[in-house]
Amino acid sequence: MKNRADLIIYWGGNPAECHPRHFTKYTIMQKGRYIPNGRKGRTMVLVDIRETPSAKAADVFLQVRPGKDFEVLTALRAVVKGQRVDAASVADTGLSLEQLTDLANRMKACRFGVLFFGMGLSMTRGKHMNSAAALTLAAELNAFTKFVAMPMRGHGNVTGADVIMRYTTAYPFGVNLSRGYPRFNPGEFSTIDLLVRGDNDATLVLGADPGATMPQPAIRHLANTPTIVLDPKVTHTSRLAKVHITTAATGITAPGTVYRMDEIPLPLRPPLTGPYPTDEEVMRRIREAVQRKEQVAA
Amino acid sequence: MLRIKGGKVYDPKNGVDGVVRDVCISGGKVVADVDGGRVIDGTGLIVFPGGVDVHTHVAGAALNFARGLIPEQHRNAHPIVRDHIRRAGIVGATPTTFATGYVYAGMGWTTVNEAAVPVLSAKHTHEELRDTPMVDKTCCVLMANNEMMLDLLEAGDHERARQVLAWHVWAAKAYGVKCVNPGGVEAWKFGKDAKQLHEPVPGYKTLTPADIVSGMARACDELRLPHAVHLHCNNLGAPGNVSTTLDTMKALEGHRAHLAHLQYHAYGGDDWATFRSESAKIAEAFNANTNLTCDAGAVLFGTTVTITADGPWQHLLYQLTGKKWGNLDVENETGCGVVPYVYKEKNIVNAVQWAVGLELMLLIDDPWRVSLTTDHPNGAPFWRYPEILHLLMNADFRKEQIARLPEKARSRIILDQLTREYTLGEIAILCSAGPARALGLEHKGHLGVGADADVAVYHAEQDITKMFSHPRYVIKGGEVVVEEGELRQSVEGHALAVKPSYDPQVEEFIRPLFQQYYTMSFENYPVTPDRVHGLQVNELSN
Repeated sequence: MKNRADLIIYWGGNPAECHPRHFTKYTIMQKGRYIPNGRKGRTMVLVDIRETPSAKAADVFLQVRPGKDFEVLTALRAVVKGQRVDAASVADTGLSLEQLTDLANRMKACRFGVLFFGMGLSMTRGKHMNSAAALTLAAELNAFTKFVAMPMRGHGNVTGADVIMRYTTAYPFGVNLSRGYPRFNPGEFSTIDLLVRGDNDATLVLGADPGATMPQPAIRHLANTPTIVLDPKVTHTSRLAKVHITTAATGITAPGTVYRMDEIPLPLRPPLTGPYPTDEEVMRRIREAVQRKEQVAA
Repeated sequence: MLRIKGGKVYDPKNGVDGVVRDVCISGGKVVADVDGGRVIDGTGLIVFPGGVDVHTHVAGAALNFARGLIPEQHRNAHPIVRDHIRRAGIVGATPTTFATGYVYAGMGWTTVNEAAVPVLSAKHTHEELRDTPMVDKTCCVLMANNEMMLDLLEAGDHERARQVLAWHVWAAKAYGVKCVNPGGVEAWKFGKDAKQLHEPVPGYKTLTPADIVSGMARACDELRLPHAVHLHCNNLGAPGNVSTTLDTMKALEGHRAHLAHLQYHAYGGDDWATFRSESAKIAEAFNANTNLTCDAGAVLFGTTVTITADGPWQHLLYQLTGKKWGNLDVENETGCGVVPYVYKEKNIVNAVQWAVGLELMLLIDDPWRVSLTTDHPNGAPFWRYPEILHLLMNADFRKEQIARLPEKARSRIILDQLTREYTLGEIAILCSAGPARALGLEHKGHLGVGADADVAVYHAEQDITKMFSHPRYVIKGGEVVVEEGELRQSVEGHALAVKPSYDPQVEEFIRPLFQQYYTMSFENYPVTPDRVHGLQVNELSN
């Protein structure tokens, strides 16, 4: 996209504040092999429910009524394919048919289009159906031009966790190993659902702060059962945990690898040294201690 | 120390074809004799060098993307339950890393070549290979759509192109060079393809796919890479692509090349309705060009997932199947597409594909130049190899299978006319000695003194599928890892890489271009040797 994208759409995200380097390092501000004029050679569209600071960077801002993203995406798919779309039903989404037609024309006319979608799309009404609609729209646009879509992810190295879960268990998240082999069922085995139902009797938290983001019943369960946190700093979760082991900060006092949102790994070289062990070392020592205990029991 | 006593040994490289003798092992190598140590009674058993897979997709960003795309397949796949030896996993079309090692070794295969690695995500590929036990690993770096290479080839600066190529091979800690749809993957970045071998690649003034093919093959030869350029020809899968494949053979101008998954490049007809086998033409030309090796890329009926760097083809397949489709463009060097697929016996195109893979293996007269593959997981998962061996070794069984195909498909293939049956000695070439030679792995694929002690011991059975699915013993690096058909221990394999000779100054040419067009720091681009577990480097001289 740095070298080719002449149409960049952000949908349900606020990169100016949430991914502040995205514009400058990867997308609109970069000059590329086939975009020699940088910003002037690209069109940016922002689709969101409110006018965030990212709107200032956009050439076109489309304000969708909250919860209507799926309808907009579906109508767009129809417009792209030249099917008849009822203007009155589009009006209900907060956008006009003219606006959708204009966007569809831009998408079909570009040389290389990219659709970034954020949690404003994937975590609001419709959830994964919204993501599916966005991905389908991008796939179908390849009948006209080159078009790709990519989620704007957050929470540190979530992509790295996803990648490693996939090659060790075949599934990205929500994996249950209690039968000795991986089983996958989002909604049943995913973290929030386990915690809310109170299915688990202990929790190990690695590189995450669920106490800051998860629903109250989940947080209550973390507080009421043994929770162990590995984290370089004090977090919402560490405050309610039974045990907090301070670990080295990866990239600052410990080496490691972080995955970009496009699943490209980057090595981290620590500029400083510190007194704390790495997450890996703590996990290895816990495992060794458990193995010794098993041997004694045997 | 270990002695396999009195087995019937098939060691084609050393001219041993079913001779009863002992195989002695010490220090992870085959030796002339051992004094003492464990003795395995090989009486009545068949002793093969461990299998070598010359073309498979077992690790890397593309395969891992595919894993994420098919949870519904994993649910029906064979699970591996954790025990004191094995880590948990899932087999299926895209086995998890640990499962990949267990299943390959469990079948008697001990070396695999991961055939498609972009430099940009090579660190990730090596992480996955590190978690793939039981087998030694090589990989091929994707270079035929690398813009830096293409620009140099267009400018006719072959000397620098070779230097840049060598630098990238070492940067990826690769063993060989892979070319996928030369020029076509680059063109796909603007939604186009490069189907004509002698027409300029979209975006370039004069550079044609044929120029890329010959330039890359020449550079690989000049660098003396042990494995020839690993070539996925243009126009994969398309009706009538036989002409492109034949033209590609000519474009190589006598340079060595390994033609990957040849089955997908041997079709006649003008469209899907007239799709037919052209394996006879391909085999005839291949037999005459002794600079070439190939692997079959055979297809078996059933469910799988297709994964290739050939982005435009995958978009077409998505439009044909209407199923899921994943596409990844990898900055300035390659791309990939993923489409789940079911090969159906009653589908005429699929039936022809099934026949073409077998026809090629039967028509290519030198078994040393053709290797068994399914382009895992594209034609079928690798753990179905024994079914193919069964088809190759038993013409009657083949006839029964052909009879099940639709009438229309049977008229477009020649498999029913082929009566050849592979012997055990030829199977040992097809699965081990041949691919080891094609890869230039001198210590693999044979049981002579000094060879790596990778051995598969089978119990002769009428049911060939069963025989090759469940070896009695497997020895990896001198360790008995499978015994009585059961996994007894998990061992780590090596990562084999080459370091071609190049002028270190080439980095000063690459660095500014990289900084201009890529999105990461140049220092973060190459894979550092400490990230590759069990790295064994073959330093080449010019």
